[in-house]
Amino acid sequence: MATLPGEFRFGNFFASIIWVILVVIVILTLIVLPLLFVVLFYTPLPPVNGEVLTPYLFLTSIVDPTRTLPIINFYIHQIPFKVIVFPGFIFAAIVAAATIFVERKFLAKMQLRIGPFYAGVWGIGEGILQLAADGLKLISKEILVPSGADKPIFWATPVAFVATAAAVVALIPVAPGWVVSNTSVGLIAVFAILGFFPLIALLFSWASNSKYPFIGGLRALHQMIAFEIPFILSALSVVILAGSLNLTEIAQSQHTFWYIIFLPVSAFVFFISSLAELERVPFDLPEAESEIVAGWLTETSGMIYGLIQLGSYLKVYALAALFVILFLGGWHGPQIFPPQLGPPNAIPIEKMLTLQGFYEYLTANAIFWFLVKTVIVIMLMILPRGISPRIRIDILLHTGWYKLIVLAFVNMFVALALIYSGVLGPGGSLSIH
Amino acid sequence: MADLEDRIRESQRMGIQIAKESEDDRLMTLSVGPQHPGSGHFRFVVKLDGDYIVHCDPDPGYVHRGEEKMCEYRNFIQNIPHLERPVIHDSTNITYSYSLAVEELTGIQVPRRGQFIRAIASELNRQIYTLYWLAIYGIFLGHSTMFMWPAGDRELFIDLMEALTGARVTHAFNIPGGVRNDIPNGFKDKCLRQITYYEKRLKEYEDIFYNNPLVRQRTEGVGILTKEDAINLGVTGSVLRASGVPYDIRKAEPYDVYNEIDFKVQYMQTADSFARAYVPFLDMRESCHIVRQLLDKMPESGEVRAKLQANPRGPPGEAYRRVESGRGALGYYIISDGTPKPYRVKISVGSFRNMLALPHLLVGAKMGDMPVIYWALNYWPVEADR
Amino acid sequence: MTSTAPTPSPPLPPKSHASTSTAVGFIKAIESGSKHLLIKRFTLRYPEQKLKFVGDGYQFDPKRAVGIAGLRGRHILNHDKCTGCQLCAITCEGIAEAIGMVKVDEEWKHNKKGIMPQIDYGKCVFCGLCVDACPFYALFMTNDYELAAYTKEHLIYTPGQLAVKPKYSGDVEIKIEDHGATHHA
Repeated sequence: MATLPGEFRFGNFFASIIWVILVVIVILTLIVLPLLFVVLFYTPLPPVNGEVLTPYLFLTSIVDPTRTLPIINFYIHQIPFKVIVFPGFIFAAIVAAATIFVERKFLAKMQLRIGPFYAGVWGIGEGILQLAADGLKLISKEILVPSGADKPIFWATPVAFVATAAAVVALIPVAPGWVVSNTSVGLIAVFAILGFFPLIALLFSWASNSKYPFIGGLRALHQMIAFEIPFILSALSVVILAGSLNLTEIAQSQHTFWYIIFLPVSAFVFFISSLAELERVPFDLPEAESEIVAGWLTETSGMIYGLIQLGSYLKVYALAALFVILFLGGWHGPQIFPPQLGPPNAIPIEKMLTLQGFYEYLTANAIFWFLVKTVIVIMLMILPRGISPRIRIDILLHTGWYKLIVLAFVNMFVALALIYSGVLGPGGSLSIH
Repeated sequence: MADLEDRIRESQRMGIQIAKESEDDRLMTLSVGPQHPGSGHFRFVVKLDGDYIVHCDPDPGYVHRGEEKMCEYRNFIQNIPHLERPVIHDSTNITYSYSLAVEELTGIQVPRRGQFIRAIASELNRQIYTLYWLAIYGIFLGHSTMFMWPAGDRELFIDLMEALTGARVTHAFNIPGGVRNDIPNGFKDKCLRQITYYEKRLKEYEDIFYNNPLVRQRTEGVGILTKEDAINLGVTGSVLRASGVPYDIRKAEPYDVYNEIDFKVQYMQTADSFARAYVPFLDMRESCHIVRQLLDKMPESGEVRAKLQANPRGPPGEAYRRVESGRGALGYYIISDGTPKPYRVKISVGSFRNMLALPHLLVGAKMGDMPVIYWALNYWPVEADR
Repeated sequence: MTSTAPTPSPPLPPKSHASTSTAVGFIKAIESGSKHLLIKRFTLRYPEQKLKFVGDGYQFDPKRAVGIAGLRGRHILNHDKCTGCQLCAITCEGIAEAIGMVKVDEEWKHNKKGIMPQIDYGKCVFCGLCVDACPFYALFMTNDYELAAYTKEHLIYTPGQLAVKPKYSGDVEIKIEDHGATHHA
């Protein structure tokens, strides 16, 4: 039990508060403010109202509403923001965290139970802080490295797992112009990066120096390699129709119709293959609990397990977003956001509050519809977890190597036939001959 | 000290023997041991050649408590609480056959209403056990919904048993001479209402589990136990009935009031794991009919318990009685020497007999079939070790 | 597996359940799972909700030699009936050795030895055979099952503690409606 506290004296308490405030003020003045000015001196500052800002004017943006939004607007379009916050890591991590919570609640509702219940505000948001509680718990656990394990690889592989998942997220465009890296071979880059995951699973299972991870790692290797080919083939049909490998252009070319109308079988094959790449039920053999304890994740403990879960759910977001971009029309949808949020001739503070100069109605619309469709696809990915058991390895390989490749080829020939007969043109518009 | 060294050396020798790879370096020895999510309190050592199992050594004994020896120090009534612990989920059936054997030894007559209540409790308990078994089977296949639904529906029956006996799982209800208390008010209506609702739930199980193509793919054709092998190995219960032998002790050697109840023995001809998973389901359906008939035919009033002397005893002799429990034939062989404490109690459980089929079935199966075959044998580790 | 009694002619076995086609099977499974999204949850939200029990706990009538159905929870000792005959302690010796007889300061005419049972709930298995053994209507069981304590010594209930009638109020039971069963009052 807790130790008994010493006698409480109000004078000492007050003195300690003042002491803390003093220390904070000293640190701010002596260290933080000079550092801030040094940083602002060397970073490029945006021109506002025709004049380039000095660091002093930058700091006055806190109180001057004519400068706040343009400055924020400038920084949002810079690359570090895109990499770290949106549509990069923090955005994907928030979607991943929301996915985990929704998954647990959704499955619980299907199974007639509550799911996370006690962590969070009871009655209003039951269990909403469960993820934070789990994260805290995982950070505080000891990480056990098995004896004889290959230490450098054991520690590096989970980090590589998250880094690779984040690399896939970096290629996904959320709205026109909002992508971290806009390469002309975006789709092939996604496949190349996804090809790393079997290697990572195998490295970690070998480094664990134990029999159950060994079996799990082999299963992960077989499974992911088997399903990469139907994955690529089904995406290839989309490339044939769109005429480009750039993910932004593929999404843009669906402004009249979505590709899923002409390629439903490919969409189905892509969906099943992505479930297998993500190691989700019914394809969670590498982590089959009742046969091989936890597969290649057996020896993970503490934050290593947390990193791998984070990486897994980042991949869920990335592959669901890829499905939306390839088959469901990306960000296209009816325009529901108004062009302006407030009148253009208002006082400056009202202009700032209605986000004028910062709010672009097309971008907001694109982001909204993209999120809606991604959420729907993620829910569809969660559904099999409630209704199906785990599949066996030989049935899995049979499905991946025989059935899905045949189905992918079928739809590819349908797409080729549509193009050669002149129904669909390479520009993406429906041309009738 | 030399004794200790001898023992250490002996256990090292045995350990090395089990863990040594054979001459063929391809084989990997895997200990599916007690610390394994897919094994229960049981260990078996398998040797794998790639994905195929080539050898299996079951290693029970982790939960051995000495139940049979403990019986010799307690009188016939005091034996009930500890005898129901080996299979706590099915506690009425394991004390049912004990009570029958003791009644044969001591010559106690059970009143008719008591016999009916005993049969009702036994059938309800069979449902409780089978639902728990089904839940674990679902989770072994990776089907988490099939774990939650039977576990939730089991609450209906546990609620009934709580109203009837006073405890959720540790019932201590059967006693030599009858049952300990009469049914409470409102029990019959509650029971009928919950059983009607439960029969609707059984259809959901079929939809999501038994007719699920993935479950079928994993369990059909896996671990085929032919009729001759089943009889030769001596398996019992639903495992035997799934191999085409229509043998149910309630029909073959009826005890208490089972000869007045009209029900069909459920069995299947395909002898694979799917049949072994499906026969308990059919049994559950049949059990609902049995409970309805029992509630109908029960006499309106009467004694439920024979009046006993303080320390019941009987003339020296022996008795052997069997009961159909959730896992199969559960038999008690009791020798009494005239004193209130039995001289020897031997419990013959269905799990231990079914375990003999495990090495036979696992050889040649894939690693992914291991939980499917193992749990379909209706094996309860605590009961097998007693 | 020899059975001496001849089994009645076995009925036809149920048809080996013909599997429906794969697509129909999947669709039915999805339909079954999605149907449950509309059913209310079954969980009992203990401790905000507590179960209701019929009756006052397990009791035993020595005249008719039969018990009265009830929950087997904490015991209650009627000091004005207990004679200190030790039958409950003797019964429990073979089961859990949870009952010990202790001297009490009270003076009762029917309790010449001045001893009464004290129960150690760290050992008691709540089988109720001690209640069956008492011939004087002195030892019953109540509906109280919330007996957690911080130390093992606090689990030993003295005869004075056992005489206190517990206050237990629960009002939630399983209710079966058209689309599901739930726990509510």
